[in-house]
Amino acid sequence: MSDRITDPATTSWYEASARARLDGLLDPGSFREFIGPEQRRMSPHLPLFDLPRAFDDGMIVGAGRLDGQAVLVAAQEGRFMGGAFGEVHGAKLVGLLRAALDQKPAALLILFDTGGVRLQEANAGETAIAEVMRAITQVRAAGVPVIGLIGGRAGAYGGGGLIAGTCSRLAVSEGGRISVSGPEVIETNKGAEEFDSRDRALVWRTMGGKHRRLTGGADAFADDTVAAFRTAALRLIDTAPAFDLATLEAEQARLEERIARFGDCRDGTEIWARLGANDPAAIPAMTTAEFDALLAQIGETTHDAR
Amino acid sequence: MSGWRRERAARDARIEAGRAHAAGKVVAAASVVDLLEAILRPGDRVCLEGDNQKQADCLARGLSQCDPARVHDLHMVQSGIVLPEHLDIFEQGIAKRLDYSYSGPQGARIARMLYGGQIALGAVHTYLELFARYFIDLTPNVALIAGVSADREGNLYTGPNTEDTPTVVEATAFKNGVVVAQVNEIVDRVPRVDIPGDRIDFVVEADKPFYVEPLFTRDPAAMTETQILMAMMAIKGIYAEYGIRRLNHGIGFGTAAIELLLPTYAERLGLKGKIATHWALNPHPTLIPAIESGWVSQVHCFGSEVGMDRYIRERPDVFFTGADGSLRSNRAFCQTAGLYACDLFIGSTLQIDLSGHSSTVTQSRVAGFGGAPNMGSDPHGRRHPSDTWMKAGREALVTGDPALMRGRKLVVQIVETFGEKLVPTFVEKLDALELARKLKLELAPVMVYADDVTHIVTEEGIANLLLCRDADEREQAIRGVAGYTEVGRGRDRAMVERLRARGIVRRPEDLGIEPLDADRSLLAAKSIKDLVHWSGGLYEPPAKFRNW
Repeated sequence: MSDRITDPATTSWYEASARARLDGLLDPGSFREFIGPEQRRMSPHLPLFDLPRAFDDGMIVGAGRLDGQAVLVAAQEGRFMGGAFGEVHGAKLVGLLRAALDQKPAALLILFDTGGVRLQEANAGETAIAEVMRAITQVRAAGVPVIGLIGGRAGAYGGGGLIAGTCSRLAVSEGGRISVSGPEVIETNKGAEEFDSRDRALVWRTMGGKHRRLTGGADAFADDTVAAFRTAALRLIDTAPAFDLATLEAEQARLEERIARFGDCRDGTEIWARLGANDPAAIPAMTTAEFDALLAQIGETTHDAR
Repeated sequence: MSGWRRERAARDARIEAGRAHAAGKVVAAASVVDLLEAILRPGDRVCLEGDNQKQADCLARGLSQCDPARVHDLHMVQSGIVLPEHLDIFEQGIAKRLDYSYSGPQGARIARMLYGGQIALGAVHTYLELFARYFIDLTPNVALIAGVSADREGNLYTGPNTEDTPTVVEATAFKNGVVVAQVNEIVDRVPRVDIPGDRIDFVVEADKPFYVEPLFTRDPAAMTETQILMAMMAIKGIYAEYGIRRLNHGIGFGTAAIELLLPTYAERLGLKGKIATHWALNPHPTLIPAIESGWVSQVHCFGSEVGMDRYIRERPDVFFTGADGSLRSNRAFCQTAGLYACDLFIGSTLQIDLSGHSSTVTQSRVAGFGGAPNMGSDPHGRRHPSDTWMKAGREALVTGDPALMRGRKLVVQIVETFGEKLVPTFVEKLDALELARKLKLELAPVMVYADDVTHIVTEEGIANLLLCRDADEREQAIRGVAGYTEVGRGRDRAMVERLRARGIVRRPEDLGIEPLDADRSLLAAKSIKDLVHWSGGLYEPPAKFRNW
C-alpha cells in the first residue's frame, strides 16, 4: 500500500495507512517527521515475546501545515499491533505534546487508530496514557486546541478512548468507533446476553461514529475520505472551546444531563428516538448528507462543553 | 398380504403411531419428541437434514431429547454434521453409525469422538456421492427436513435455501420412508410448491425459524494485497489464457478477490464477455459488482446466502427463481452442473503435498468435504467439447492416438504459501494420512487427488501441472511456487528455472504483472457497505458483517 495519496477526495481514511492519512491531510509537502523510522527507535519489549517490531513503533509524529497554519500531528498505525500504546509509541506522543507548549502551534492533531494499551508492555503503556492525558490538559491550558480524528479500523479504544475524551474536539466517521472496553471484552466479562460482540450493527449503534456524534461524544461527522477529515479538522480548530472552569463545568453538566436523560435506554435507537429522530432504525443506513440533515433537525448536538 | 409389501406395511404402522400426536399432518412443536419416539425404530437409517447452510434444528433438538431406551442405534445419513445436537445423539446412544459429507464447525469434536470410538464411521462423502447412495444402499427410513412454510396438506415451500431437501425427500418418500418437515409457519397457501404434500407425512411448526449460516460471505475489508495478487495471476494466467466462461468458485478470500477484480482489473484487460459468464455458485455477495457491471449471464445455486434474497428477486435474468419470485436452489443439480458443465473449479485448501494431493483434514480436525472433491475432479463421463476443455486436454500428456484425446477439466488450487497462524500450506506428507492410520480408515480423506489438479496458484506464481511430464517435474513445479515453506526452500533452483523457461512455473513478472500494483484500490468493493451500494440497497448483510 502506498503512503502517498493522489486524490484525498476519493481516498478512504479507513483504508489508508497512517502515513498516507498525514500525506493527504496536511498541505502538500509540508510534513516534517520527528524521530522518523530511519532512527529505529523501536520497542525494547517486543523481542522478549519474539514479536516483530516496527521502525516507528506504529506512531508517527511531526510538524506540518494545515491550510497554511502551523500544526503538530501524531498518527497511529492501526495495522501495527492494532495501533496499541507501548513505551516508545506513547513517549513519542508525550514528547510531541510537550513540544507544543514551546512551539504554540495553531493546533495539535491526533489521528487515532488504536485498540488501547499494548499487552506486552502494559505498565509502560498505561503510564504513557496517563502522561498523554496530563500533557493534553497542559497543552489545552496553554491555549492550543487538541483535535482528535477517529476513522481507522481499530477505532479509539481502551486508553485511546480515554485520551480522546480529554481532547478539545473530535471528528469521527461512520466506521470510526470510540469507547473504552471493546465489544469482545464486554462480552467476555458480562456475557453475550449483555453485549453480543458478533452483532456488529449493535456494536456500531453503541460505539460507532454516528452514535457518538448524535450524543455529543464527537463534534463533527466526516465522510470516510481524507479530504473530509481535513475539512472537519479545520472547522474544529476554529470552534475549539477555551480550556477554563466554565468549559469543564459545562462538560460536567452535559454528562450529568446525558445520564439522566438516557440512562435507562437499552439500545442506541432508543436514545436517537428521544433525541427527536423520527425513524431511528433508518439512521445506520443514512448517507452523510442525510445524516447532516438529521443533525441540523435535532439541533442540540453542538455544545460548548468538553 | 404378500411378502412384497413389508416395508410399506411398516411405514403405515409408523405413520399411524405418529398420527396420535398430530392433528392431521400438523404436529405442535411441543409434541416433537413424542412424534419422533412414535415413528422411529432402533437401527433406523435417518437423514436429519443439515448441510453447510440450513438446519432442521427444531427436529435436531427433539431427536436429542428422545429416550435412548426407545430410540437407539440409529444410522445417521446426512450431509452436514453442524449443530452440537448432531453429535450429542451419538454420546447419548441414540445414534451409532454415521455416513456424512461436511462437519465444518464440529470438525474438532467429531475428530475426538472418532478417536474415542463413540461414532462408527461409514465414510466421509462428497455431497453428490452421499446423495447417490440415498438411492442405492443408504436409503433413509425417516427423513427430518426443514422448510420455510407448509399448508395443512403438507405442501412445502422450501424457499431460497432449498438445497438438499428435494433429494432427501425423493429418496425417502418413494421408498417406503417417513418424511417429517419442520417449517417456520403453517399457512393457508404456500408461495410456491417446492415439495408436493403427498411426499410429506408430518409438518411441525417450529418454535423458531430454522438456522441458516452465512457461510459464503467474504468481507472485502479483510481482503489482503497478497490475495489480490493471486487473483490477478489467476485472471491473467488462467481465466484469460483458457477463456474460462463456465466455472465454479470455492469460498475462500482468493476466489472472492477474483470476483471483485472482474469489473476492474479484468475489465481493463478487455476480458468482459470472454470469461466468467456462466456459474455454478452460491449467491456470493462479492459477485454483486460483476453482476451489476454486466459480466454475468447466469448463476445456478447450491443454496442461498443470508441477506441476498431481495437482490436475487430483483435479478431473475441472472438467477433461477420460482413463480413466486424467490430463488430456487438445488444442491444435487448444482453439484452435477459443477461436475459436468463447468470447465473450471478453483478453490483453496489447508495442505498440499509434493504430488499435489490436498486435504483440509488436520490431526485434530475432520472438516469433511462438502462439494469440493466432486467439482474439483475431472469427470470421465463428460462427452461435450469446449475450447477450454480441449486446450487443457492438449496440454496434458497425450498417450496413444491423438484423435482419441479427450479434454481436461481445469482444477485450480489457489493458496497462500503460509495459512492462518503461519502454518505452511505445502507439506511433505498430508496430516490426512496420519489420521487415516490412527482411525484405521481404508481410504485417507483426500480433498482433491493429485491427478485431478491442473494448476496451483500462490503469491509466488502459478504451477501448471498439466505440462509436467513426470513426477520429478511435478514435484519441482510445486516446490517452485511454495515460497519460503520448508517445501519451497527444498527446491532444485536450476530445475525450477528450466520449468520456468517452459512456462510450467510462471512468476508475476512472466505474466506482465507488477506485484506492487496489487492494491486494494483494485477491488470493485472494499467493504460490505460498498456491496450494499452496488446492489442498490437490495443486499441486506447479516449483523455480524456490518460496521455501521
